This record gives sequence, structure tokens and C-alpha cells, in this order.
Amino acid sequence: MAGMWIFLVTEIMMFGALFMAYAVYRLGHPLAFAAASRDMNIVLGSINTAILITSSLTMALAAAAAQEGGLRPAKWLLAATILIGAVFLAIKFVEYYLHYRDHQVPGFWFETNLPDPGGVQMFYVFYFIMTGLHAIHMIVGIGLLAALLIMTECGRFSRVYHSPVVVTGLYWGFVDIVWIFLFAIFYLPGLHLHG
Amino acid sequence: MAEPVVARKIYLRAYAALLGLTLATTLLAFLDMGRFNTIVALVIAVIQASLIAGVFMQALYESALVRVILGGGVLWFLILITLTMTDYLTRSR
Repeated sequence: MAGMWIFLVTEIMMFGALFMAYAVYRLGHPLAFAAASRDMNIVLGSINTAILITSSLTMALAAAAAQEGGLRPAKWLLAATILIGAVFLAIKFVEYYLHYRDHQVPGFWFETNLPDPGGVQMFYVFYFIMTGLHAIHMIVGIGLLAALLIMTECGRFSRVYHSPVVVTGLYWGFVDIVWIFLFAIFYLPGLHLHG
Repeated sequence: MAEPVVARKIYLRAYAALLGLTLATTLLAFLDMGRFNTIVALVIAVIQASLIAGVFMQALYESALVRVILGGGVLWFLILITLTMTDYLTRSR
């Protein structure tokens, strides 16, 4: 258990550096970051937040079921977590496609009518790196959950031995926490400009 | 390893609170509160993170060792933020 927490602390260090860099650039280009954030799709973003929170619930319930030796409910809850996690990724990739279509991906094809195009582009640099790193964590998590599902099916876990399920639950919860903050810094800052 | 299993009711309450806070933070972001927009969004995010870590990840029920590890990680992150901000927030423009 403690080992997974130590790993998660190293993850805080990795994401923490990115959040730090984001904060520094946002202080340098406050108006550009707010204006760029207004173009985020708040409907898809908030729905995805609710979806990921739901997957955290099913993951926590799966870990609790495994701890009690309830392998049947654990199996279904793990499968539900995989499915809900996949829906999150699908919506995320739809968003990526919309950014691609609207020339919001930094690089040669980047276009914006907003003032301070450099600042707007930096917003999208952070957006793609941070949500991309988060999406990679989700894909890894789904892989871990798939392995757990097979192990549960094979009867590898019991009331005595179930640490892999609990430890993966910690990882999944951490990935959800990262998204909560990504939602706050990428989707929310421009909403008041809609008025 | 005999971890205490949290009652299902507590999980569901935390889940309801998390969804409620997501709705609240989204609606509040539509108001123009100046610099408080960022503060409100971050405070709600910290509350949500605490709910996930405390209840779903059972940090509230963990050993002192785990609490020290987690506290150390959060402390180091705050040092990173605080020391950097002593520079960027106090520059003359």
C-alpha cells in the first residue's frame, strides 16, 4: 500500500511541475489564457468530469468488494470502471478532433483571431501536454483494470489477497484528482467571458 | 492486510458531493468575480480532491506512514508553488 502512495507522490512531482509552468505562463498572459479557455467545450468537459467521478466510485466499490472477498460484484464493478473510463477517453478524443479541425493545435497550422496569439498558443501547448499525459495515464489504468478483470475471473483474489485491486484503485483515484484540477484550470477560466 | 472497509453509504454521499461540487464550480465560473474566479475554482477543486483521496482512496483510514508520505508530497508541491510565486507575483510590471 505504502509503495503505491510513494509512486503517487512522484506523480504529484511530475504533474506538479506542469501545473507550476502553467501558472507562470498564465500570469504572463492572463487575458490570452482566459480568451483561449472560452473556446473550450464546457459541455463535453463538465460531462467528462462527472463521468470520471462516476468511474472513481465504481473503482472504489470494486476495491471494497474485493476486500470483502466478493469476487462477483468486484468483477462487474471492474468491468463498469473500464467501460466508463473508455467513454471518458472517447469524449476526450472527440474534443481533440474538434481542436484539430478548428486549427487550435499548436504548430504550423495554428490559427486564432484572438489578441496575443503567442499566449493563446501557449495555453493550447499546456492543454495538449497535460490532458495528453492524463489520457496516457487513463489508457495505462484501463490496461491495469483489464489485467485485474482477468485475474479476478481466474479466481486469483480472495478476502486475504486482494492488494492489486486496492492499489490500482489508488492509481485510478489519483488520475481522477489530476483531471479535477485540469478541468479547473483549462475549462473554467474563460466561462465568465460568455456573458 | 486487513484494511477497514468503508460503509457503502459514505461512498455514495461522497459521490453525490463530488457531482454537486462539479455543478457548483461550473455555474460559479459563469459569474465575473475578478480574481476570485480562480480562487473559487481552485478551492472547490481541492475539496473534491480531498473527497476522492480521503474516501475513495481511503487515505482517511490509512496508517501514519501513508499520511506522512502523502503529506510530504503535498508539502513539497506547496514549496514548489510558494517559492516560485514569491518571484512571479511580486515582480514590478
